[in-house]
Amino acid sequence: MSAGLTRRELLRLACIGSAAAAVAPVETATAAVHSEKPQAAPGAVGMLYDATVCTGCKACMAACNQVNELPADSAGSGGLYHAPLDLNSKTKNIIKLYQAPNAGKWSFVKRQCMHCLDPACVSGCPFEALSKDPEKGVVRWDGSRCIGCRYCEIACPFQIPKFEWDKWNPRIVKCEFCITQRLEKGEQPGCTGACPTGAVIFGKRDALLAEAKRRIAASPGKYFENRVYGEKDAGGTQVFYLAAVPFKDLGLPELGTDSIPYYATKVNAKLYKWLSGPLVLYGILALAVNRNWKHHRHEQEQHEAKGGLPEQL
Amino acid sequence: MSNPWQRLVPVYNKETHSRSFWIFGAITVLGFVLAGLRMVSPLGRYSGMNDAYAWGVWKIFNVMTLTAIGSGSLAVGLAAWVFGNEKLHIAMRTALVTSFLFYFTGMMALIVDVGRPWNFWQIILPWRWNGHSALLEVAVCMPAYAFLFLLFENVPLVLERFSYTGSDRVKGAIKRFDPVMKKVYPFVVAGAYLLPLMHQSSLGGLMLLSGPKVHPLWQSQVLPLLYVLAACICGFAFVNWTLLFTCYRYRRPISIEVVSEIGSLMSWVTFAWLVIRISDILIRGQVHAVLAFDRYSFLFLTETLLMAIPAILLRFKSKRETPRTLVTCSALAGLGGLLYRFTPTAFAFTPAKSYSYFPTLPEVLMTIGFISFGILTWRIAVRYFAILPGTNEEWHENNWEPLFVSLRSRFHKKPQGAPTWQE
Repeated sequence: MSAGLTRRELLRLACIGSAAAAVAPVETATAAVHSEKPQAAPGAVGMLYDATVCTGCKACMAACNQVNELPADSAGSGGLYHAPLDLNSKTKNIIKLYQAPNAGKWSFVKRQCMHCLDPACVSGCPFEALSKDPEKGVVRWDGSRCIGCRYCEIACPFQIPKFEWDKWNPRIVKCEFCITQRLEKGEQPGCTGACPTGAVIFGKRDALLAEAKRRIAASPGKYFENRVYGEKDAGGTQVFYLAAVPFKDLGLPELGTDSIPYYATKVNAKLYKWLSGPLVLYGILALAVNRNWKHHRHEQEQHEAKGGLPEQL
Repeated sequence: MSNPWQRLVPVYNKETHSRSFWIFGAITVLGFVLAGLRMVSPLGRYSGMNDAYAWGVWKIFNVMTLTAIGSGSLAVGLAAWVFGNEKLHIAMRTALVTSFLFYFTGMMALIVDVGRPWNFWQIILPWRWNGHSALLEVAVCMPAYAFLFLLFENVPLVLERFSYTGSDRVKGAIKRFDPVMKKVYPFVVAGAYLLPLMHQSSLGGLMLLSGPKVHPLWQSQVLPLLYVLAACICGFAFVNWTLLFTCYRYRRPISIEVVSEIGSLMSWVTFAWLVIRISDILIRGQVHAVLAFDRYSFLFLTETLLMAIPAILLRFKSKRETPRTLVTCSALAGLGGLLYRFTPTAFAFTPAKSYSYFPTLPEVLMTIGFISFGILTWRIAVRYFAILPGTNEEWHENNWEPLFVSLRSRFHKKPQGAPTWQE
């Protein structure tokens, strides 16, 4: 009798154990929970782009291609020179022109990865192929982990990660702040180094934020909403924008000030903490099923004893 | 006869190779050939996906939508085994086999869809998992459910067959294995409800991370809950529809008692879904979006009506007990559930103005090919195994379809000993 009990206990434990192992991440205990207002790493690098200074010369695009060894994309020039239509798997950095429909206002805008403080792409990536560098805060991609599911593209509010649709072994392509080619050698990224007018500058995130606010204070009314885009947007980014036209017109969406991963995980983080939710639910289900199972088996055995046909599970 | 569903009985005396069999077969082969070609060539050549609409029909239809109607095992199983509804055990095998086929074809679509499937092996390294990712939960949970739990639940119907037709050694092995299986069965089955509850809700959780890209009528914290309830609705709907349709097709009497019970449960879950759905719209202050009468409000109203009409109709006993009404209501609720599950990833998903997505022909052919494979397998399965309900009189334990028969003799074979339906 007792042997049967212990065997049953063992079985129960084995089932719970295997269910738990099959079900959810072991590291839920250690993983940091997303906060509503994420903090920048102390050594976070940044970029400040001031659209009112940019002349649209595209030197940064050429430099980006050079440093990242990217091919020219001549889609917009009929094969003559590097003129991509948008960020794509060959283009990590692009200068676009915005013109208001009534030809009043116009502005250039530089687009590349924003290196969010709490990136949606990193939060969604199932095997951590996308990760945020803990020291500099750069969002990087690791090909040995990526399964090519493209959830990063579904998640990114800025539509930054690009997928190599024309390759059999596709990579996710996006700006990585030239971290291996430049930052780790103590140099600045290709684009900021090439900019002749200082429209885009490189530095520590907090220093750049102070500089952006200094510019706003120096010429009140010059900049849209007297605000730095990226200071708080979507929880904050490491790329800042100053512009004279609405950010929305430059393709920078109004995302509010909360981190998107916080919104996406706040309920589940509680339910799945320490796997408590699934384990408790499994316990309840197992108790209920077991009770009904005994009842069901009892009925079947009676039925079979009366000469009925064997049970069909 | 009070209850014509006393037992699960294989389908006897049906010509396998009817015209529709060959049509589904051809579509399946075409889909599989294309899938093979896609595996050795870039994704862009075979699909209409792009960097904004990075998920196409394979993921948003075969995986995220069709596994909802593959949730019959979850819905009927919860009712039968967790809530102790004894009546519904007879519908379990129909649910289990169809669920397995939907999940299996969904997994096939997933492998075709991902760009670097050779990195999928990391699934066995938990320290590489991202615990915050809803997609990780889906990626681990779905295959585990399909290939461990659902497969295990489908073992008894295979063992049953071989306990009649197997060699003496096989019969002996089954006799020894049977008590072991019956010991672990309830504990595995409990896991078989935990896992789909988790990943069917996580499928809704996937779209939370898209934030403002999903229209506010759908983007909500209750997506996961509504997704899992929609899966239960679709599961009940599909099992009921399948039972009614196949019994009609194979000329078997229908147990009104069972199908009306499933219809009733489906209607209650639909009411729960509607209450949560509409409360959520009110709480988030999106009534103006419902009344905007643009394409989004039209979609919302369509899905709500598809859900509400069968839910209300099936509360009337007379309607519940009319097979024709049940078939219609199951189809409507199933479609409503599917539409709700499809919309946030498709119609209401607007990542960028300058991009659009429509599946290409090869993409659609693969999608249809996977579904055809499921239909084909189902049609073969109901002949080889006891899946569909029937009466004790119909049951002939020595009349199993032989497994390995040459195709040629297949065409001229007439099974002996079983009465035909016309008698």
